[in-house]
Amino acid sequence: MRRVLGIALALALASSARAGDAASDQARLEARLGPDVGRQVGALVDDARAAGLPTDPLIARAFEGASRGADAAGIVNGVRRQSGAQLAARGALGAGSQPDEIVAGASALLAGVPADSLARLRLARPGGNLVIPLVVLCDLVARGVPADAASVAVVTAARAGATDGALLRIRERIHSGIENGGAPAGTAGDVVRQWLHESPGGKASKQQQRGREPEPQRKKAP
Amino acid sequence: MADKPDPERPHPHSSERVAAHSSERPPTHSSERAPAREEVEIDEKVRAAYRQPSAADEPARARLLARLAAAEPRRTGWRWWLAADAFRARPVWVAAAFVAVLAGGAWLGARFTARHENDVVSLTRSSEEAGTAPVTFVLRAPGATRVSVVGDFNNWDANATPMAHSGSGDMWVLNVRLPRGVHMYSFVLDGSEWRPDPSAPLAADGSFGGHNSVIVVDGAPGL
Repeated sequence: MRRVLGIALALALASSARAGDAASDQARLEARLGPDVGRQVGALVDDARAAGLPTDPLIARAFEGASRGADAAGIVNGVRRQSGAQLAARGALGAGSQPDEIVAGASALLAGVPADSLARLRLARPGGNLVIPLVVLCDLVARGVPADAASVAVVTAARAGATDGALLRIRERIHSGIENGGAPAGTAGDVVRQWLHESPGGKASKQQQRGREPEPQRKKAP
Repeated sequence: MADKPDPERPHPHSSERVAAHSSERPPTHSSERAPAREEVEIDEKVRAAYRQPSAADEPARARLLARLAAAEPRRTGWRWWLAADAFRARPVWVAAAFVAVLAGGAWLGARFTARHENDVVSLTRSSEEAGTAPVTFVLRAPGATRVSVVGDFNNWDANATPMAHSGSGDMWVLNVRLPRGVHMYSFVLDGSEWRPDPSAPLAADGSFGGHNSVIVVDGAPGL
């Protein structure tokens, strides 16, 4: 009986803590943005909270708009876009996605990456964290690589077993190639093909894609 | 030994009794006529024989029990669980077992709950200790007199996190601890010029006219 009462008390405390968080967020928004904009943004934040989406990025987006000097409509619009992108990112990545994945996926969608690329990325790395692949994908698009070419490059590398570190090195090489005058789309494709050729996992994946079995590794004689 | 009856053979008194009832004479009723003396004697003998305790034939009893046991199929495996008379127990032992199971369940439940409470405490402590990671921001900004970092970790406040000028060069440096996770940030030069980090991945344009940078704290090396 005492334990049941304890559980009920814990639930009540958690509920009141959530209500306290909402009130605290609302107070912060109104203090920074003014009562009117604060209320509008607060309503969007409440909707996101009810939908189970991360709310901190929405508040941060509103504060960013205020710091960049955006007007009231621009701030509310920016928060609305962020919220919609998070919702779409979760839909594409799956309901069990981590909050960081949703934030990174939303950024990629806002950059122009199609939603089905996020879903393909999830299939390419099932069970793995997608934050770095999504960050790399968003970065490539933001640097001028067409969204389709960037998606193909990152999904191909991820499917071939590229680790987060490998993806970051691929990103740096594409960045360097573009800075040296290479066409963004061509550079992205060249870099990923070269990585597939160079990396052991990439070789195996390439051979499997051609329908051949990978060559067994020869053991050195003792 | 001679007076010990053989169970395989009919009881001597039984044959006598059968003979008494299987007499060829038609049955007679006491209401019709009085029983003859001879009949009364036979009846007395039969009654006396039934009153006499029969001598126990232990080997025969053992053989009979062995046959019964052999005739009854043994309930093994799943049949034992389906048998109606799988086992017998005294009510006092059943009650004691029930109390023991209840006590064991309560003990296990209390222990499980306590362990989870400890987990929560230890997780909270570890997140308090290791929930942040050191991050160093570096920017080369020739000609700038004031540089700060703005991001979701400081409410995008340009006055909250100023960078330090490193000696005589153009480098500006800031060491901070940031919560683990994905963060958007930017540099603000002289209070008005927003500039993304040239060494970090870019985030999407957040509809306010300009890209931010992305940092993944404790996500992967190199960011």
